[in-house]
Amino acid sequence: MAAPLFENPWGGPAGNFAPTLVTACTALPPEGTLALGAARRSSIREFMSKLSLKKVTTEAKLLLVGIPVFLWTIIPVYHMFLFAISERESATSGRLWPKNPTLQNFDHVFNQKHFYLNHFWQQLGNSLWIALAVGAITLVVATMAAFAISRLKVRGGRTVLNMALFTYFIPAAFLAVPMYKTMATYGLLDNHWSLILAMVTIASPYCIWVLKQASDKLPFELDEAARMDGATPLQLFWLVYLPLMLPSLVAVGTYALLLAWNEYLYAFLLLSKETDLTLAVALGNFLAADDSPWELLMATGFLYALPPAAIYYAFKRYMVSGLTAGAVKS
Amino acid sequence: MANVSFQKIEKSFGKVKVIHGISFDIADGEFVVLVGPSGCGKSTLLRMLAGLEEITAGEIAVDGRVVNELDSKDRDIAMVFQSYALYPHMTVRQNMAFSLRLRKADQGMTQQRVANAARILNLDALLERYPRELSGGQRQRVAMGRAIVRDPKVFLFDEPLSNLDAKLRVSMRAEIKALHQRLKTTTVYVTHDQIEAMTLADRIVVMHDGIVEQIGTPLELFDKPGNLFVAQFIGSPSMNVMNGILKMSGAAAHVDVAGQLWPVAAGAGGVDGQPVSYGVRPGDLSISEAGEAGAQTVAATVIVVEPTGAETELLLQVGEHQLVLVMHGRTSAQPDDIVHLIVDTEKTHLFDATSGSRLG
Repeated sequence: MAAPLFENPWGGPAGNFAPTLVTACTALPPEGTLALGAARRSSIREFMSKLSLKKVTTEAKLLLVGIPVFLWTIIPVYHMFLFAISERESATSGRLWPKNPTLQNFDHVFNQKHFYLNHFWQQLGNSLWIALAVGAITLVVATMAAFAISRLKVRGGRTVLNMALFTYFIPAAFLAVPMYKTMATYGLLDNHWSLILAMVTIASPYCIWVLKQASDKLPFELDEAARMDGATPLQLFWLVYLPLMLPSLVAVGTYALLLAWNEYLYAFLLLSKETDLTLAVALGNFLAADDSPWELLMATGFLYALPPAAIYYAFKRYMVSGLTAGAVKS
Repeated sequence: MANVSFQKIEKSFGKVKVIHGISFDIADGEFVVLVGPSGCGKSTLLRMLAGLEEITAGEIAVDGRVVNELDSKDRDIAMVFQSYALYPHMTVRQNMAFSLRLRKADQGMTQQRVANAARILNLDALLERYPRELSGGQRQRVAMGRAIVRDPKVFLFDEPLSNLDAKLRVSMRAEIKALHQRLKTTTVYVTHDQIEAMTLADRIVVMHDGIVEQIGTPLELFDKPGNLFVAQFIGSPSMNVMNGILKMSGAAAHVDVAGQLWPVAAGAGGVDGQPVSYGVRPGDLSISEAGEAGAQTVAATVIVVEPTGAETELLLQVGEHQLVLVMHGRTSAQPDDIVHLIVDTEKTHLFDATSGSRLG
């Protein structure tokens, strides 16, 4: 599956690597106390030093892994940023900081001052609309499915769930052409709905699975209490189930939204009119020319990467708790 | 307010039958406790009454109306769950008003009822709190408040006190009893704790392995247990039971337990030579003050003395049996002392050794 472009630098482990200062407890009572006491003290000291040694090695190991991972993720991003603030002539100079840093590239992008950027705002809008629609529709589909399977225990729920898992045995790329054919059959090509429906199809199974696992964790007595209180299944869904599932819903909705925002392949296949494209595809089109405007490509790319990073950062708390809630099949 | 009737109720989970034809009636305003060891089917029976479990066979009627096919919400029954099952995202007030909100009841009436219930349960100060901000006992009271607000025909309690610590359990028990005396709503209460059953119930239904062993008032069950199971289940510490042979000699009868003769109540049934189980409650044994053997005494060796303040519990060895004796006040008896036991003859119990049912 396509992963969000900017997962690691903001949500990743980079922040947690400051080694905790291990201060060995060496303050000793005055000499000359009982030998027994001294023996005990020395054994305690031995224990303390072992403990701190262990801690130190743990920290060291974490740093050893963490620093390369941090560099690995941050260097390409920094590179992109570097391109984005460089002048066209010096963009590929290889310097760590440009001689004349400039915001001119962003001006070009915002004011659509280049052939490739003629529809920048339109395309950004397309990306946004499609991502939001995919997030919303996936949420509706997945929530209702999870509620029906996990809480109402509908017949065949188990089968639906297993089939949902099964969809992930087939890579999405294999389904691109069949999906294209299907959309053509329904006359949806060149229509945003084709991409929206395709992305909902791809995102839903995982979301159903995660939400099902999360809702299994709500105590069943709540449903029974609500039933005794006179709630219909629909009231149970709106008044009890949804409010309690909110963290998982945020996580799953964000997942679907970012998935659609980052999608390239399907967007490339299903949409072709320039004003219909998503920004991801428009960025790809920069490379169609022999002499691509790299600095503009990178400036646009940088802007394109900001919303997911912001969303991910805002909902980080939910992402971690919500997505791991379904991590282990119970 | 309503009466409840169970008629030949059966329940199967797949091929496993867990309730085997239970019939009994609950009168209007009565407090009935279903008690039994875990797995006896008491909770299942309650859940069938609540409408949370299908009824495999038989009929349940509330207020003369068969409710088998009715949804829980149409049965007008409120239930207090073991885990309280409070809605975590609602305040105490919202929790209590939830059922009325679903029924689209008038706002003013809803607020008044909630205020009423809150006053009864001492929850006034907590109405705007969330369940996570409450202690176990307070949550328990909110769960009860949620039931009271509805003013239902029947209250159901499913082991409501088992998540509380021992001290709180005793005080909540008293609160539940006081509540029932005040509201006089028909109540069915499930517990595995026989002390809860004894203290709360108007009538107790003792269940075991999906059947009813005995139904009666707490003292009936205590004084005249219908069979060996009830005899040992009700009462704490539980009844001393020994197997022996019934010996009739004229008007007097004794049970011969490995050569030791134990006196039997006058008018107890049974025939000479019948194998029986002989039961005597720990409180119906006492130590002979004179410390001497007599015609009606039984010699015993003290194993353990457990003073609890007001009472003293002794563990005694008689032949191969270990007996428990509870006496008021204190004793000078020490471990390994030989004491002579006096049996309150009229309070002894005889059961058939094979069927376990009461004789006489």
